[in-house]
Amino acid sequence: MSPDALTFPGVATAGGFWLVLAIIVPIFGILGLWRAGPRHTERVGLATLAAGLVVALAIGFQILRSGESVVYFVGGWAPPLGLALRADGLSGVMVVMTAIILGATGLYACGQFGFRRDGIERRAPLMFWTMILAIWSALNLIFLGDDLFNLYVALELLTFAAVPLVSLDGSKATMQAALRYLVFALIGSVLYLLGTAMIYGAYGTLDIVLLSRMAGTETVLLVAVALMTLGLIAKTALFPLHLWLPPAHAGAPAAASAVLSALVVKGSFFIILRLWFDVLPPGIGEIGVQGLGTLGAGAILFGSVLALRQPRLKLLIAYSTVAQIGYLFLVFPLATGSGAVAPWEQIAWTGGVLQLASHAFAKAGMFMAAGLIYDALGHDRIDGFAGLGKALPLTVLTFGLAGMSLLGLPPSGGFSAKWLMLSASLGEGQWWWAIVIILGGLIAAGYIFRVLAPALGSVDQPLALKGKVSRRRECVALSLAVIAILLGFVPLKPSETLQIGRLVTVERVMPDGGVAPAPGVQP
Amino acid sequence: MTGGSALLALTLALPLLMLLAGLHPAWRARLPSLLWLAPVPALAAALFSSGSILALPPPFSLTLALDRPGAFLLGAAALLWIAGGLSAPAYLAGKGRYVAWWLMTLIGSLGVFLADDLVSFYLLFSLVSLAAYGLVVFDATPSVRRAGAVYIGLAVLGEAFLLVAFVLLSQASPEGGLSIGKAVAALPGSPWRDVTLAMILLGFGLKMALVPLHVWMPLSYTAAPIPAAAVLSGAAVKAGVIGMIRFLPFSTALPAWGEALVVIGLVSAFFGVAIGITQKNPKTILAYSSISQMGVIATVLGMGLASGSTAAPLDVAFYAAHHVLVKGGLFLAIGVVAATGSRRLWPVFLPAAIIALGIGGLPFTGGALAKLAVKDVLGYGTVGTIAAFSAAASTLLMLHFLRRLAASTARDPEAVAPTRLVQVWWAVALLAVALPWALYPFVSGSVADVISPAKIWDSAWPVAIGAVLFILLTRIGDRMPTVPAGDILVAAERLLLASARLGDGMVRIEARLREWPVAGAMLLFLASCLAAAMFWAR
Repeated sequence: MSPDALTFPGVATAGGFWLVLAIIVPIFGILGLWRAGPRHTERVGLATLAAGLVVALAIGFQILRSGESVVYFVGGWAPPLGLALRADGLSGVMVVMTAIILGATGLYACGQFGFRRDGIERRAPLMFWTMILAIWSALNLIFLGDDLFNLYVALELLTFAAVPLVSLDGSKATMQAALRYLVFALIGSVLYLLGTAMIYGAYGTLDIVLLSRMAGTETVLLVAVALMTLGLIAKTALFPLHLWLPPAHAGAPAAASAVLSALVVKGSFFIILRLWFDVLPPGIGEIGVQGLGTLGAGAILFGSVLALRQPRLKLLIAYSTVAQIGYLFLVFPLATGSGAVAPWEQIAWTGGVLQLASHAFAKAGMFMAAGLIYDALGHDRIDGFAGLGKALPLTVLTFGLAGMSLLGLPPSGGFSAKWLMLSASLGEGQWWWAIVIILGGLIAAGYIFRVLAPALGSVDQPLALKGKVSRRRECVALSLAVIAILLGFVPLKPSETLQIGRLVTVERVMPDGGVAPAPGVQP
Repeated sequence: MTGGSALLALTLALPLLMLLAGLHPAWRARLPSLLWLAPVPALAAALFSSGSILALPPPFSLTLALDRPGAFLLGAAALLWIAGGLSAPAYLAGKGRYVAWWLMTLIGSLGVFLADDLVSFYLLFSLVSLAAYGLVVFDATPSVRRAGAVYIGLAVLGEAFLLVAFVLLSQASPEGGLSIGKAVAALPGSPWRDVTLAMILLGFGLKMALVPLHVWMPLSYTAAPIPAAAVLSGAAVKAGVIGMIRFLPFSTALPAWGEALVVIGLVSAFFGVAIGITQKNPKTILAYSSISQMGVIATVLGMGLASGSTAAPLDVAFYAAHHVLVKGGLFLAIGVVAATGSRRLWPVFLPAAIIALGIGGLPFTGGALAKLAVKDVLGYGTVGTIAAFSAAASTLLMLHFLRRLAASTARDPEAVAPTRLVQVWWAVALLAVALPWALYPFVSGSVADVISPAKIWDSAWPVAIGAVLFILLTRIGDRMPTVPAGDILVAAERLLLASARLGDGMVRIEARLREWPVAGAMLLFLASCLAAAMFWAR
């Protein structure tokens, strides 16, 4: 191993402190929550969300303006001695997306978990806001962290913040779901930690940028990455390791389900992306990527069919998440491996990230709509939805728009993602993934139709509503669904933003001390 | 922006604005009476915008353009949508939010004639296909719901075929561009040529209801209210026709694909008639007539594709433009006749008789001109002869339709249909005859050529044969077998049941996978698989 491989390539850039702020602003928010007392829980929470949104936008702006990664060394010490925070184009997109969705969740949850002057003081509001902010800090650390052990800490924080959200109402069923989630996530953590230890033993560093320059085809690396990937898959709930997801996501309060489905599962997925695209050398793991794609295909087919069979709306949406996670994993066979060549590799990469973002917005909007429907009807049985379109037009519209993106009708982010992924799979000659993508879309149309057909059908007498639905909450859900639609206006070509700071394009140090040119870079 | 391209923009913008206006309660109440206004810019565009192009700036990757085949169809469809908009309130008042569905279907239906890039075409095609569901399903009766479910299921399937076709087309296109013209021109050289063509034929064949993908059409048109059935059968179905016109590479002769399309088309042309004469509901009969007529159009397209005829698109557009007005008009006639007493029947029945027989090619009608226009492309060999016999079959079906129509009058013999409905129907019937005469000089020969005795004989003999067949049919009378609307759908539904059993199996497997021991074992198994796979592949 060449010694100069162990110097961090690059220096701390301007504006690096924004990265620190992205992680610690939510922590300060939590301290504020606990200090301020129950009367001010909501106000402090919302103020933190607003401040965090500003930080996220500042980071995004910084990356766009400079056209390269924003890097910060904690304490001024560069890896391998210190820790680095690094925001490339992908991190920027994720950080901004998370801030928007969490901000919307906060607005949606206002009054749900707020202080009631007349009621007795309850634990739920403080718990909800604390966990939401903790999830945020953890997610930002995952998106910005450049050190595998740092990511482990963030993953644990994410799990321990997400589990209580599932059992917020304290009923037996949700406790059981939360416990399932916890146990499975912990198994995942153990596997991840094991892999991390192996890598540290072999390379003496856990910094992703450094590893990307040193990693070759060493056996220990491959085994470590396999273990870590499996652990992360368990946390992402990729089929067939999805057992904990449907009860957890369907049992949580709507605002929490939105965050869990839209963001939390993406956290562990993001680390898998880092491992396979940044740490592993390109072209490695031929069979591995096809295997991940196969699991993704299984998720798409099983998740969609199961969603089609659910009697309850929230379970339907939860199974739809299982299916949509499957689409994310198709990015591995399409954007790496020997079949993946320019420009298809970048097209698949853009398509995958677009799928991630549009699913996040659409699914958050959809879960919020489901929550409103539950509040209005007192149940979420789909066969009781006749006449819903007349009673809650905005909410049904939200469901429809989000559904449009999920099943991939234009114009929507889901459509553009599907187009790009289809292009990549056909362009690379991996046509079997195209069949799965198309089939999944067809079944998705079926489960969306199952909800919309009774909701939009004409009825003799209007639906009796049990509760009132606030217009503000309807608008919050609708705006998320509209963002999923607006994502359809990104151009149908490889995104330049997402290429900023990608490590695939860096030079790698060969074992003999020479330097290999970056693959995919045209001379 | 020139005046022509401004009209193209207005074609989509006005109905879109009306759709948005519907969000406001005060405006929503006024919209039904203004529904006829929405397609007026499209009519103006068809008259004045031929040859215009409009490319919207990014991020809206929307390009609109109007060529002559597009203008023919756009104009005819706009006229029918105006007629439909004038009559819709009388039928649909109080039937929920039909205005929104109407306007969305309209935007898609008119927009597909203008779309010049793959994504816009896909968007507008989806709009006309999916929004039409709202026009089909008004009542909550089981038969209507079944019609709606079959419709939406097959429509979504068609979308899936087209998505694959369009992605492949964009790959065939130089630099992966999205322009339809460039992509189709490059298609014959694409390594994916055959798959692309198969997907195009499946996707648009479904929309045109070519056998065996026709099952949705009889169900939907029977279920839909009169004005909705009129615009769907006349205008919306032409999205499939314009799709074939735009996406089949007529500049290159592809004999195998052309002949396949000819066979499908001829089968559809006769199959539609054969099932149609067993039907009793006039709406169902018209639906089967549409299947038959779309079959004729497919035959013409197939012959054009087989010989690489660049004239075929315009001829087909002319034929289809005639069909827009006739089929839409006849559906309106069903509504008018249903409100008219038997003693007042003739003034509304006679125009129906004339334009219905025009479908069979009755001399001097628009239909006769339409048949003449496609004669050269069909050729004078076997296919041309079979096509002539299909005209005889169409005459038979139309006579059967007229008989059922005459039997569907209002119970009160002195009843008179609302004046506006009658006037709209007369106007459409008149246009169905007059418009082809006005457009014929733009297609091929001169009008003087048409009224030569030889040409009249060419049109007349199939009609005569059809009349003779009709007399034979009346002799058989009630001994005709009854075929359920949607015919082969029953078999298809059995297939659906089988797939439901597959779904049951998947549900059971998934339930096992969610058990703790299974999931744990799965985790270990996958971990070792992944590690082994990566180790071997390094």
